[in-house]
Amino acid sequence: MTTWKEILKDEIPPEMGMLIDTYEAQMELRKQGRLDEKIFAEARLRKGVYGQRYDNGQRHDGVRTRDLAFPSGEVVKGPDTLWDAPGMQRIKIPYGGLTAEQLEVLSELADEYSDGIMHITTRQDIQLHYVHIDDTPDLMRRLAAVGITTQEACGNSVRNITACTLAGICHDEVFDVSPYADAMTQFLLNHDDVQDFGRKFKVAFSGCAGHACGLVKMHDLGLLAQTREIDGETLRGFTVFVGGGLGTVPHQAKVLAEFCREEELLPLTQAVARVFARLGEKKNRNRARIKFLVAKLGIDEFRREVEEELKTVPHDERHSAYTDTLGGFTYSPAKAGLALNGAPLPDGFDAWYRSNVYRQVQPGYSAITLHTPLGDFTAQQGFQLADIARKYVGDNIRLSVEQNIVLRWVADADLPAIYRDLCEIGLGDAHAGTIVDITACPGTDTCKLGIASSRGLTAELRTRLIEKINLLPDAIRELKIKVSGCFNSCGQHHVADIGFFGNSRRSGNHKMPHFQVVLGGQWQENAGSYGLAVGAVPAKTVPAVLEALTERYVAERGEGESFQTWVKNLGRKEIKAMLQPFMKLPSFEDNPRYFSDWGDSRVYTIDDIGVGECAGEVVSLFSMEISKAESTQFEALLALDDGDYQLADEQAYKAMVLAARALVRTKNLDVGDDYNTIVDEFRSRFYDTELIYDRFAKGKFARYLFKRHEGLPERVNEDYAHQIIDETQLFIENVHSAEQRINGVIVG
Amino acid sequence: MTIVPKRLGVKFNLKRQPALQPDDILPIFQRWIQDHSVGGMLIDVIDYKHVPEGPGIVLIADEADFAYDLADGQIGLHYVRKRDLPDDLESALRLCFSRALEAARALEAEAPDDLLFDYGCAKISFLDRMRYRNTPETFENVRAEMTEILSDIFSASVTLARAYDDPRSLFALHCRVGGGDFNIQS
Ligand code: HEM
Ligand code: SF4
Repeated sequence: MTTWKEILKDEIPPEMGMLIDTYEAQMELRKQGRLDEKIFAEARLRKGVYGQRYDNGQRHDGVRTRDLAFPSGEVVKGPDTLWDAPGMQRIKIPYGGLTAEQLEVLSELADEYSDGIMHITTRQDIQLHYVHIDDTPDLMRRLAAVGITTQEACGNSVRNITACTLAGICHDEVFDVSPYADAMTQFLLNHDDVQDFGRKFKVAFSGCAGHACGLVKMHDLGLLAQTREIDGETLRGFTVFVGGGLGTVPHQAKVLAEFCREEELLPLTQAVARVFARLGEKKNRNRARIKFLVAKLGIDEFRREVEEELKTVPHDERHSAYTDTLGGFTYSPAKAGLALNGAPLPDGFDAWYRSNVYRQVQPGYSAITLHTPLGDFTAQQGFQLADIARKYVGDNIRLSVEQNIVLRWVADADLPAIYRDLCEIGLGDAHAGTIVDITACPGTDTCKLGIASSRGLTAELRTRLIEKINLLPDAIRELKIKVSGCFNSCGQHHVADIGFFGNSRRSGNHKMPHFQVVLGGQWQENAGSYGLAVGAVPAKTVPAVLEALTERYVAERGEGESFQTWVKNLGRKEIKAMLQPFMKLPSFEDNPRYFSDWGDSRVYTIDDIGVGECAGEVVSLFSMEISKAESTQFEALLALDDGDYQLADEQAYKAMVLAARALVRTKNLDVGDDYNTIVDEFRSRFYDTELIYDRFAKGKFARYLFKRHEGLPERVNEDYAHQIIDETQLFIENVHSAEQRINGVIVG
Repeated sequence: MTIVPKRLGVKFNLKRQPALQPDDILPIFQRWIQDHSVGGMLIDVIDYKHVPEGPGIVLIADEADFAYDLADGQIGLHYVRKRDLPDDLESALRLCFSRALEAARALEAEAPDDLLFDYGCAKISFLDRMRYRNTPETFENVRAEMTEILSDIFSASVTLARAYDDPRSLFALHCRVGGGDFNIQS
């Protein structure tokens, strides 16, 4: 039978194809119980394949917790995560940039493997929900064929690299950061130095200090475009921020380097990654983000560590070579830039123009924002949007951290026509960037950690606000609302004027969904400061709370006073007093409505909360790397079954080298990929020293590797293929036990 | 014989715009999970009513999704079988029709005066672009067999037409029944 693997074999870059094959082999090993569940979970997460709510096989149906009898029974894809349970696929879209063709493929995948919906995340990714893990390898292949990877979209790795949606067209930017974000994405993807983190690592670029777009101050590594005059020459570089992040304990990033020249950017990043891998917390994942390391060492000591590390970073052509390619990063608009020509404008155009259109720095062009409610749009809209993009802007599509779509390079003269076309497909909504355009994390809809329904609340607030948006004073229209389903702040509630995050309180014998109110966070200045938690209110009172807050702000604000300043001046105590009336909890008998969450008719419970996969378990670098050797050996077996002995040999040989490499990397992280170097290092560090020696077989298994490395036998036939695969198996076992002996590490 | 697609969907449209709002469907679906009102391993309900012409409210099951679907500007009950499809097309279609019908009838029972489905036609979707590209050729390839199977299912003559022209869309067929309502047992 035909498969996507065969159909797309010439279109998938070999490197990407191999990674997917390895993952597919790991899936098979896991199903057979031959790969540890924690190691598989981390390998799966590094492919962007997430667990989802109820995947532990239990769900409260409003009356009682019921078992969900998935057909795969006890087979798990991670600790307490059942194989058949629907999951989420995160798809990395570097700096949110998409082509029309990519949008079409994403739409196809949403149709065929998900529920027809694409979801835009707060970090410019796309997520598909309710995906079966068995579908993920093909899903990845179809993406790979159009240049999209899900590699390291999740797990303890470098996540999607984000950048301002207006990069390259903005009036205020120092320079266009897109090509740098692109180069950094390519450089860090699968890089050896980013494989051993205790937690995720998020990188963002911003073109200027004043606006919000890049949000560099809330990132693990934030890069802010700068230029310097040195010896009469204008040099490009970045102010480097490190150790920012939201989560339960938000941290503002610290300045690591005031000005890092562009050719120093990649080595510096590499040094930061190495310091994080070496010194970052590995056991307690609640303190494993780099922000805790920076706080622990202090920025000066951290800087000193990075400077020392920089001296050990091996030479790499790409460090400077990428700057030669920056000029090649150009935009091709579909049309010539022309001013609006005075023709009659469609109904609703003016309002849409005010909120959704940004005049580019390039005369005659605009960027337009398509407001997607809750970040969701359908496959059908995806296809139609691809047509609209081709007609007006070409491949100039970006996703934004506010969960919207931005089309750049629209000729001004086309604005009325594109507006009409967008209205036809339900994407002509006028409220982009206004109070209606609320950001929400997945919350209790799909997230295992969700405490309250962030999306349910957001949908409710949207509906209510849309009804009265035209009556709202400007000061309120412009406010930002962001909602998270729990304290982890995936919805970025810390950096909104008005943020909410889910929690729960007891009233009598029942739990009641609540939202903590967080006020006065700053979106501007790259998320310049975080909001103030002022108290938790029942979820059902949030619309009234919002109304009370905004009305009082309008009534009392001084001339030009921002919401942020108003909150600061009013003070926590006064605000708390204002919220007090909403905090009175009715009994279940008096008002059962309070005991159900928004968009959910079940009586509220927190029994569905599971163990989150914000990152996998911390799995040792060795375990991750040896598991790749094991799955490659498994691929060799498959090739043997297919009668392809040549391939079986290649894979077995590769598996042995990968196993040797996994061990060498415990002593020398910089061994690289060259087979000769790996085998030499392995020989001198482990064979000559007898460290690899088995108690009985001594160095026999290691010699299997040396023998194959010296060359192929004359005849590669079935017997030979069998033999080398068996030898590979023995060698991998040997490496496993040696590693435990040498490093005293318990695998996993 | 025609290959069974990876996923297969059947949608019945409502006869007219109901007074009931998508919001009202959510508790119904959640109750169905409590009461096992329709067959399948029911898991959860997700609300997409904010998306224009989207899947509306979806009851997610292990082997299928039931959507109170708003696509194509037509409200309807869309049953999509995701796995465990029988490996001949006729049985697969019979299974999807009977499950879709069961769900549509269960929904009608919730608001008998308001929710009325038109069983004189259905949309059948092949959610599998590898085997079923949305082209006139694909249609020609399956037309005879589909007509035969569907006439049998409906015990009436049926007319088939492609639901979408766009080659990127799913291959889907509108099936209209000659002699009034159809008479498959759910
Ligand atoms: C302890 C666990 C978790 C922590 C601490 C955490 C924290 C965060 C934070 C702080 C952000 C957003 C801000 C940013 O850095 O740009 C984020 C993004 C996000 N999180 Fe989580 N998260 C956790 C688990 C989860 C889970 C279980 C889900 C649901 C499946 C989830 C879904 C998301 C989504 C959709 C985003 C936007 C992301 C992207 O594209 O990378 N998170 N997370
Ligand atoms: S904030 Fe909480 S509920 Fe929302 S996605 Fe993150 S972990 Fe889940």
